[in-house]
Amino acid sequence: MWPCSLFSGGRSVKKKKRKPNSGDALKKESERALVEQIRRQLALAPSKRTNFLRVRLPNGGTSL
Amino acid sequence: MNAEPLLILIARTLARQRLDVVLIGNAAAAIQGSPVTTMDFDFLFRKTPTNLAKLKRVADDLGAMVLRPYYPASQLYRVTRDRDGLQLDFMAKIDGIRSFESLRGRASSVSFGAHELLVASLADIIRSKERAGREQDVAVLPILRRTLREKEEA
Repeated sequence: MWPCSLFSGGRSVKKKKRKPNSGDALKKESERALVEQIRRQLALAPSKRTNFLRVRLPNGGTSL
Repeated sequence: MNAEPLLILIARTLARQRLDVVLIGNAAAAIQGSPVTTMDFDFLFRKTPTNLAKLKRVADDLGAMVLRPYYPASQLYRVTRDRDGLQLDFMAKIDGIRSFESLRGRASSVSFGAHELLVASLADIIRSKERAGREQDVAVLPILRRTLREKEEA
């Protein structure tokens, strides 16, 4: 059996606050950028949402 | 690269040959507002002898040729033009879509020049990519789903 003092009147255990790390900030920022990009696209007429074609380059890569 | 001049050419050629198709894939997703890119134009069509003859005439009009790729892509006819790498893939069947008519019924008509192209709905594009489950499909799904959400909330 555990002594009662362990459960009452003892030191309270502080919950550690999780620090937001740079990964979270980056994820949030890229999500915000994506939504902004989508809204910019949706503001255009469908017939003007045409800047999507990638072309093959002679070295094997592609470019917009 | 801006695909508008090519889309005008494609819409004109398809109209001239009266080939009934629906634009699908990433090109359709981009026209529906998704910030995605692609190197080709994918279409769903009804595979009938008449339409195959029309497809040949579309390729001739574009100065391209029709190929049947060997890799496991069911019912795919590829129209390619060597001089600029133009590539149009015509499919008779795609994952997640029951029939050409059902896809066509939910597609939207978009004007390119004097002609119109039927563009698959974003919900259909998402469903098809979910079913296909290829790496490149799965990669763009979060962007497509987010676009659909933005459209619904707008």
